[in-house]
Amino acid sequence: MHDIERRAFMRGAAMGALAFTVAGAAVLLTPAAARAQGVPLRKLTAAQAETLDALGEALVPGARQAGISHFVDQQISIPADEALLEARILNVRPPYANFYVAALGAVDRASQAQHAGRAFAQLEGGEQRSIIDGMRQNKLEGWQGPPAPFVYFVLRSDAVDVVYGTMEGYATLGIPYMPHIAPTKRW
Amino acid sequence: MANDKVDVVIVGAGASGSVFAATLAKAGKKVVLLESGPDWQLGDLISSDFWGRRIKPASGPFLLEGKNPFGYVYQAGWGVGGAALHYFANFPRLLPNDFKVKSEHGRGLDWPISYQDVAPYYDKVAHEVGVSGDAKAEEIWRPAGAPYPLPPMKTFRNGEIWLKGFEAVGIRMVPAAVGMNSKDYKGRPACIYDGWCHVGCPIGALANPLVTYLGDARKAGAEVRPLSTVTRVLTNSRGSKVTGVEYYDAKDERQVQEASVVVLAAWAAQNPRLLLNSATDKHAKGLANSSGLVGKYMMAHFSSGTWALFDEDVQNYMGTTGAQFMSYERYDKTSHKGAFGSSFITAGSAMKTSDLGGFANARVDLFGPDLAVFMKRAACGLSRIGAFGEEMPNIENRIELTTDKDAFGMPMAKIIHSYDQDAQALWNANFEEGLKIARATGAQEVWSARGNMPTIHLMGGTIMGMAADSSVTNSYGQTHDIPNLYVAGPGIFATAGASNPTYTILALSLRGAEHLAANWSTVAG
Repeated sequence: MHDIERRAFMRGAAMGALAFTVAGAAVLLTPAAARAQGVPLRKLTAAQAETLDALGEALVPGARQAGISHFVDQQISIPADEALLEARILNVRPPYANFYVAALGAVDRASQAQHAGRAFAQLEGGEQRSIIDGMRQNKLEGWQGPPAPFVYFVLRSDAVDVVYGTMEGYATLGIPYMPHIAPTKRW
Repeated sequence: MANDKVDVVIVGAGASGSVFAATLAKAGKKVVLLESGPDWQLGDLISSDFWGRRIKPASGPFLLEGKNPFGYVYQAGWGVGGAALHYFANFPRLLPNDFKVKSEHGRGLDWPISYQDVAPYYDKVAHEVGVSGDAKAEEIWRPAGAPYPLPPMKTFRNGEIWLKGFEAVGIRMVPAAVGMNSKDYKGRPACIYDGWCHVGCPIGALANPLVTYLGDARKAGAEVRPLSTVTRVLTNSRGSKVTGVEYYDAKDERQVQEASVVVLAAWAAQNPRLLLNSATDKHAKGLANSSGLVGKYMMAHFSSGTWALFDEDVQNYMGTTGAQFMSYERYDKTSHKGAFGSSFITAGSAMKTSDLGGFANARVDLFGPDLAVFMKRAACGLSRIGAFGEEMPNIENRIELTTDKDAFGMPMAKIIHSYDQDAQALWNANFEEGLKIARATGAQEVWSARGNMPTIHLMGGTIMGMAADSSVTNSYGQTHDIPNLYVAGPGIFATAGASNPTYTILALSLRGAEHLAANWSTVAG
């Protein structure tokens, strides 16, 4: 990346924004803003995003509104070297989209197998919690996909990221963010 | 494409490569560093767990196998500065008992040098990069040396609150030695204790390579070529000397850089991969591999963490990611009955909300509303301690090339790693002791950070030793087989000890680089 491009990119980074495409133009938005504005998804299907929203919200309340699907979708659509996903530091092999598609598919298949064909997003709260507990403890029979506890850990991390890893998340917890490089505005 | 021949080409611009570059450039040598990642600047080090991931590799050319696969990306570096761009800068040193494990205990390996050979370089590095701590206090466990140039760092409640617990089990804690500025030092500012060390310190209070040896190297004329991936080390027709390296530049074009000396300072796994991939008819098993030990004896540290929730605000967001207090009290190899190996204990690290070391992962089992409640409690009263444990060198823990190829057509490698019973016993013993310490603090809740046995600080693979039939390099990192080929970094450690390795990496690299500069005509002639 050229220096000028990189500096502009990093200034955006400091604001907590990611590059989304709106009406054919690249704009910097937070995932929450991208969700609120209905920015089209690049990689995830509507069904995958619905599953990710539901799973993220069940893992970490607030993840849906914080834009977990737009965050993951944007991240898996850019070169792996630029990705900010926790999957990166958990040794997931790029392209990261492969992992997410496989993981979300496995979650829905497990849900459908246990609940008469209903996808995860269609389950009641208690049913969702039961599926998640099964993933966490690797107790879902017939699971087909990346190891279920690993899927739990990675997607939980994504949800934690968008809810608690932002400046807004720190404020919610009542602790100072204290950046060296001061963001120009909060996430 | 061939470039003008230089005196030294260094593969990797991280901690060890930067020391070699600075030392040799100051000695008047023409130095080129080839770095596979970007040329990061201090301004790139954004205080964010999201953005901190960008200075780590997006998966390397390694497949992970064994009972305890080595999960390396979190602690690896990608780009100028290497892993030391985001390290915690804990600066404990190895102790005398680390160097003679085989002689004293009949297991493991001996180093070809003693603590006294390295000690002057620990002291020299401390003054060059700025180490804060209390050297006198450490003398209850190690021989006396020079005082650190800077006084200990500030401490905070999240570290101090553990002292009662340590005292209760007879563990003496002293101020942690860290590669950070407790005061302004050599034009670099003092630390402001905001706990973002783990994503890189953009003010230069933490001694990362950009503000220490790599900065010095550049000032002395060393050239850094980022986005340059080395694929082979080249030799002369007789195989008696290396002549340079082959690499692919930022445009993915093949280049050759000739040099009088080659220093491999890539990474403990990448250096063996390069040596194995550089096999020729004269070196059929790979370069510097007459012993068959290139890629063997890979070692890691494992950490036994203990969490506690206190009923007061411990300000866990304050401080540094490293440690406020440290102890070698369990550093004897037989400190724990039924286990073998050293343990190094730390307390008082600043925490953030997310990422691997954040609040949320203190209770990985929680999700949904339970997690939300826990996060609120953690934000006020959560703290942890840790004990690194030592893994003994095991020849079965190794690097091997695979038939799969990377983007440059170079064979990928697999890292095969499993812990033995000694390691597991030591891991368990440190958990048990951690709980005793935590309970003695009077904390509301205490628990062990058990999960998969962690693999931290990859070492070995190009171990040093006395002879060519039992080791890859001598104590300076010079390969036994090819005198103008060097290996730098933790790969040359003969045993792992339990101390964070970077201080020792810097000290050994300085020792090796100074020896090379002093014997230049013999080595490079």
